[in-house]
Amino acid sequence: MAVRIRPCLLAVAFFAAAWVSVFNSCSEKVDNSQKSFNCMPCSRTYVADAYLDALTGQLAQHRDLTEVPETADLCKGLDDDLDVPVLSEVHRQLVGEGSHRRLVYSVKFGNCEDDAVKFLDGYAANLVIIEKLPSGVFADPFELQHFVERKVFLDVAVFGDTNLELPSALSNRSAVEIHFDFKPSTTMDCNLVVELPLHARYPPLDSSGYATVEFGSPDLLLHYRKKDTHPDSCIWVSKNLDAEPVDKAVWRVPCGNGAHAGFVSSLTFISALVCSMSVVLAASLIS
Amino acid sequence: MAATTTTLRWRVMAASAALRVALVAYGEWQDAHLEVRYTDVDYLVFSDAAASVAAGGSPFARATYRYSPLLAFLLLPNSLLHPAWGKLIFSAADLLVGLFIDTILRLRGVPEKTRIWSVVAWLFNPFTFTIGTRGNCEPIVCAAVLWVLICLMKGQVLQAAFWYGLIVHFRIYPIIYAVPFVIVLGKNYAGPAGRPILTQWSSKQQLQSDKTSENVEEPTSLLASLWIFLSSLITRNTILFGLFSGSMFFGWTGVFFYLYGWDFLNEALLYHLTRTDPRHNFSIYFYHIYLHHQQGFSSIQKLASFLPQLMVQLALILRFSRDLPFCLFLQTVAFVAFNKVMTAQYFVWFFCLLPLILPWTRMKLRWKGLACMLVWMGSQLHWLMWAYLLEFKGRNVFVQLWVAGLVFLAANTFVMIMVIRHHKYTQLFSVSTKSRSKVAAKKE
Repeated sequence: MAVRIRPCLLAVAFFAAAWVSVFNSCSEKVDNSQKSFNCMPCSRTYVADAYLDALTGQLAQHRDLTEVPETADLCKGLDDDLDVPVLSEVHRQLVGEGSHRRLVYSVKFGNCEDDAVKFLDGYAANLVIIEKLPSGVFADPFELQHFVERKVFLDVAVFGDTNLELPSALSNRSAVEIHFDFKPSTTMDCNLVVELPLHARYPPLDSSGYATVEFGSPDLLLHYRKKDTHPDSCIWVSKNLDAEPVDKAVWRVPCGNGAHAGFVSSLTFISALVCSMSVVLAASLIS
Repeated sequence: MAATTTTLRWRVMAASAALRVALVAYGEWQDAHLEVRYTDVDYLVFSDAAASVAAGGSPFARATYRYSPLLAFLLLPNSLLHPAWGKLIFSAADLLVGLFIDTILRLRGVPEKTRIWSVVAWLFNPFTFTIGTRGNCEPIVCAAVLWVLICLMKGQVLQAAFWYGLIVHFRIYPIIYAVPFVIVLGKNYAGPAGRPILTQWSSKQQLQSDKTSENVEEPTSLLASLWIFLSSLITRNTILFGLFSGSMFFGWTGVFFYLYGWDFLNEALLYHLTRTDPRHNFSIYFYHIYLHHQQGFSSIQKLASFLPQLMVQLALILRFSRDLPFCLFLQTVAFVAFNKVMTAQYFVWFFCLLPLILPWTRMKLRWKGLACMLVWMGSQLHWLMWAYLLEFKGRNVFVQLWVAGLVFLAANTFVMIMVIRHHKYTQLFSVSTKSRSKVAAKKE
């Protein structure tokens, strides 16, 4: 449809748009700083369930039945002068061979020693790692639960498709949230090492013989609350550690080749037939 | 002499019990101290399901729990007493299997020395004593199957039906024994005294006994012999057995369906009937299933995978059902070998029946017996090597692994044929045509 737009109207529209975009970017800056802090009542355990639904396409397993309150309201009482430990380095590596490997995170904090100890005097803190697993890889919630029982992790949850048996083509994605204790002894070294065991699903068929699974970047949060507060006013604060993108982790999983289908199926059935007929013959011929 | 062999028997039982207790204790240590667990993953599934029941919930709340709720109930003391309770129960069932093997062979007049070797073949078989101590529930099924056999041998038809119906509810595979049970319960089951007469073992066993009670002396036609055969199956015993075991099966299934709904039906029953697992396992079908998992299977493919199994089962039943332990053994080996999914724990199903046929085989350990063992174990190790490369080294060896599966099927076929050719076919129940009838069962 041809529309004749008068030049002056166009200019007005242009400036209006520019002003709106400037206003928006300012607001975004404000929003971003607020977004890097997320607050929730202490009754809620996990951070990720509230926003992972869209990603995994599944109902989160640990969703609280209560409404998720406005985080902006909860974060109002935040002490802006608080020196929260800051991330200095983070590395992630996929370690191991075959279908069972481990993602090893190495997290280093800066302004350690005095600041971290001072911080931990008044606050209980956890390092929270949220790894959104790609399709084709899964975490075993029962295995991870044993890690919690052995006190390797403080807590762990798997959201999304936790099926342990189905191949990739018949599964959906999942995400893992690990809570790792930010203890004074570990912060002396200021280097936390977290290992997440993962398993590969049977990938869809490919003629190359291998499927490549690539991991996205994990979310790292510092999850802390004031010690000795009243349970009703207890608030967990999650600060996004704004980690730099980590090294790409790539997993090559062997997969079947569709070109084999013909001869594999026919040879399988023929073998079964030959063996069964041999047994039938042996049984019949015995006197 | 009798006292010496009795002492020896109790020594064997005591040694097996001590071995199992030691393994359970070692298993607890390994689980706590080493990265690789001794306990089977299935045991953790049972324990979690039992804990769920203890908390008032459903055992099916635990993912991958695919058994009857009876197992979860049996393992309730895992959370109330000690986590190793279940393993001790399974190991006790293991020992019970040894005892039942001894009972069955004694009822058939097998001499003590041969009996002890047969029992040792079960109690000290590394495949079997690790199963119970690692927390697998298969020894319970084996014990129940053997108990059904003992009841049939003693003429206790109702009791046999009770346990048979229960065990088919617990683990579906014993359903393959239904037809041979009905056949032996047919016309020639009970002797003149109303109790079955067991054919006694003899070192010079001849094959004439199998011809005396065959229904067909001079078959007039195929149809006529078929009719005679089928009509011999309709007796008071077969009807009682069929009805009572069927009621047991449907009764238990009904109760648990009422308690747990479709979760129970889908997980404990339908899953096993429709299971197509594309993940690698000993079965020759795994790669075929994986290659077709995205597009599904045609009816022809489903039928084609079912046909060899059906043919073998039918042939074995029609030919060997009167030599009941032998028939059950072969049927189980064939069922496992031709199944769509095959895992190591299924081997226990026929290992518990193997000692029952050992006294009737002409195969000596040297060298035919050893050859069978080496072929079977060797082909298994060969498969395990490729599986290790695939799963733990990430190499694409699907074709090699599939071929190793074909080789394993060939090995199973070889062993079956060797066993058939060297077996002294002897009917379990004899029909006494002589004036002197043998004693049905020896007293304890």
